[in-house]
Parts: sequence; structure tokens; C-alpha cells
Amino acid sequence: MTSIQQQVHTWLEEGRVDIFLAYRMVEGHPLPHAFTRERIDETDTLVTGPARYSLEKFATHIASRYPDAKIGMVARDCNQRALNVLQVWNQLKPGQVDTVPVNCCPSLLKPHADCSYLEPKPAGHVKLERGQDPNQSLAQADTLPRAERFDRWMYEFSKCIKCYGCRNICPVCFCKDCSLEHPDLIGTGHLPPDIPIFHLVRAVHMAGRCIDCGLCEDACPAEIPLRLLYRKVNAIVKDLFGYETGSGDTLPPFSILGDKPTMSPQPLLAVSQE
Amino acid sequence: MTLKRMTFLQHLLDFMGLAGRLHLEWISSAEAQRFVATVTGFTETIRRLGPSPLRSAALRRYDNISAAPVPCSGPASLQPPAMPDSGIQIANG
Ligand code: SF4
Ligand code: SF4
Ligand code: SF4
Repeated sequence: MTSIQQQVHTWLEEGRVDIFLAYRMVEGHPLPHAFTRERIDETDTLVTGPARYSLEKFATHIASRYPDAKIGMVARDCNQRALNVLQVWNQLKPGQVDTVPVNCCPSLLKPHADCSYLEPKPAGHVKLERGQDPNQSLAQADTLPRAERFDRWMYEFSKCIKCYGCRNICPVCFCKDCSLEHPDLIGTGHLPPDIPIFHLVRAVHMAGRCIDCGLCEDACPAEIPLRLLYRKVNAIVKDLFGYETGSGDTLPPFSILGDKPTMSPQPLLAVSQE
Repeated sequence: MTLKRMTFLQHLLDFMGLAGRLHLEWISSAEAQRFVATVTGFTETIRRLGPSPLRSAALRRYDNISAAPVPCSGPASLQPPAMPDSGIQIANG
């Protein structure tokens, strides 16, 4: 038994948690799995590795059905940030989720790392010519002339098949009635969906929420560089309001009514003729 | 709150290439002149910016990509997707 299997076994046995979310090897694939006291022997099959899933999303579903359940889960840095956000947004009670930290981003002190995101996929030549390279920096994405930026993003969005994969995998997309499925907000019956509205609606909702886990981009079958888009969302929230999403238990800037306005209406953004 | 959201949105729209087309201003019903000045000024700005690229996007034209399209010799699945007629109407975009 590995030490983590042992730890989960003990936690379940002692009743520290009622249910423990982690990964289990099934037919050679590491799949998310809920370990319970009733089937405690399954902890022998618990594995760690590069596979990632938004386990905290399961936790919110379990918590909404069984508000008093004590939930345990393995957590990387991104899971931890998501748990912070879910508490801030009242989807989980503080202390309801107990975590076992697992290996994550590499550092000089700890060169070994386990994350499916550490080997980014290179962009193909069509994407480089017409679309947005998911591996570029925000600064690079900002340097193209506006008209080209627009066309490149629209090219990316036009590939969307409206599968909702980005929303379904996202740990912080928890709304009961999602705007993306509201026929008055997003037209129905055609593909691609209304662009750029479909993607901008989600981008706006991610302000103060997205914890930059990149699962949406991993999940997108159309390879739309969603993480890049939401990185910009996070950068704006940070620049304008000094808020770092997922870093703690403070409310996001959009949920706080300040005593007095600290901003003044912007004149139009300076637009140079390009 | 509205102010925060609108400022945020102005930056996000600029990132994807749509700048200067969103404007927020509070005008009381007593400030007729300010209303006129704002609307006139914004109308001028929009006129200077020209037609919204969302319109040509609705017609599926992507003319502003500087890299010359390189013929793709791969299988059809590698070709940039033909833009289907989605029937989108961006009348109030
Ligand atoms: S990176 Fe994507 S999946 Fe992860 S929190 Fe942000 S929007 Fe959600
Ligand atoms: S896309 Fe927006 S409305 Fe839909 S679940 Fe996510 S945050 Fe909620
Ligand atoms: S995962 Fe990609 S293709 Fe699916 S709805 Fe989201 S953006 Fe569109």
C-alpha cells in the first residue's frame, strides 16, 4: 500500500471523511472515483499521476445533496484554488472538504511534477496562420493589430460545436440555470452558436471565478484557446481591482458594493486607427 | 457595480479586437445638454470606427489576417473549416 492509499484508508476508517474523491485505475485508465467506508478495500486501487479532473465539482454536487457530508479529496494547487473560489461563492461550507495534497507544478526544490498540462500541445500550421496560438503569452496576443486579433478570435470561435464541454468540466461553473442554455440569450438551432456572444458570456462569468486550471481548453474538442481568453479575464480583474482569483477567501470585486465609487466612468478607450 | 462590469468588458472587448464601441455614462433627466453631447460624440466615434466587424463576421469574412493563406496540401480534414451559414443575425451587435 502506498502512503496515500494508507492515509485515505485511515481517514475513511476513522470517519474523518465520509467519502473520498481521487483516481482509480480501471482497465489501465486513471478515472475519478469516490472511495467510501462501505467499500474501503477499493483504496488499494487508488492511484496518483498526471491525470486531472475537477474533483471539486463532484464535491459541490455531493454537498448540495448531502449538506453535512464530510468530503475528502486529493488536491493539486489548481484544485485548492477552485475549492477557495467555491467557498467564496457559497457552494461549499468552509472546512467541509479535507484535502490530501498531491504532486503538482515543478520547482527547483521539487523537480518532479505530475500534471497533464505540463506538456502543451504545439499549434498546427492552420492555427498559426488563422487562429490564436494557445501557447502564446497574453502580451503577444495583445500586440497584433485589432482587426487581425478580431478575425483570429472569430476564426477560433467559429469552430465551436456548442458541446458545453468547457462549462461542464469547469470546477467553478456551478449555476443551476446556465445562461449559455437560455434561448433568449444564445440563439438555438445553428452552429457555430452565436459568436462571439457565446464565448464572451462565459468569459464574463469567469471574472473573479476562473482559477486557470486549463481543463476547459483540454476538454474543448475544437481546440479553442479558452485558457488564453480566461487568462486575459484574470489579468483584467487583477489590473483593475487588484483581485487574485482563488488566492483566498475574499469576495470578488463584482460582488462588493463599495461605500463610494473608486472608479470614474472611462472615456472611450483610446482607439487609434489601424 | 455596473461601472466595474462595464470597465472590465471594455478591456475584454479590446483584447478580442473590438475597442471603443462600448460607452457608459450616467445622465440625469435634467441634463438634456449632456445627453445630446454624449450621444452626438459617441455617434461620431462610431462613425469614425466604421461598420462593426461583427457584420462582416456574420457574413463569414476574415480579411484581416496578415499571413498569406498557405495552400494546405493535407487531407480535407486539415483544411480550415468552410464557414457554414449559421443564420446568425447580429442586428444589435
Ligand atoms: S481554466 Fe477553464 S475550466 Fe479552469 S476554472 Fe478557468 S474557465 Fe474553468
Ligand atoms: S457559463 Fe456562466 S451561467 Fe453557465 S454555468 Fe458557467 S458561470 Fe454559470
Ligand atoms: S468546449 Fe469548445 S466546442 Fe465545446 S462549447 Fe466550449 S468552446 Fe464550444
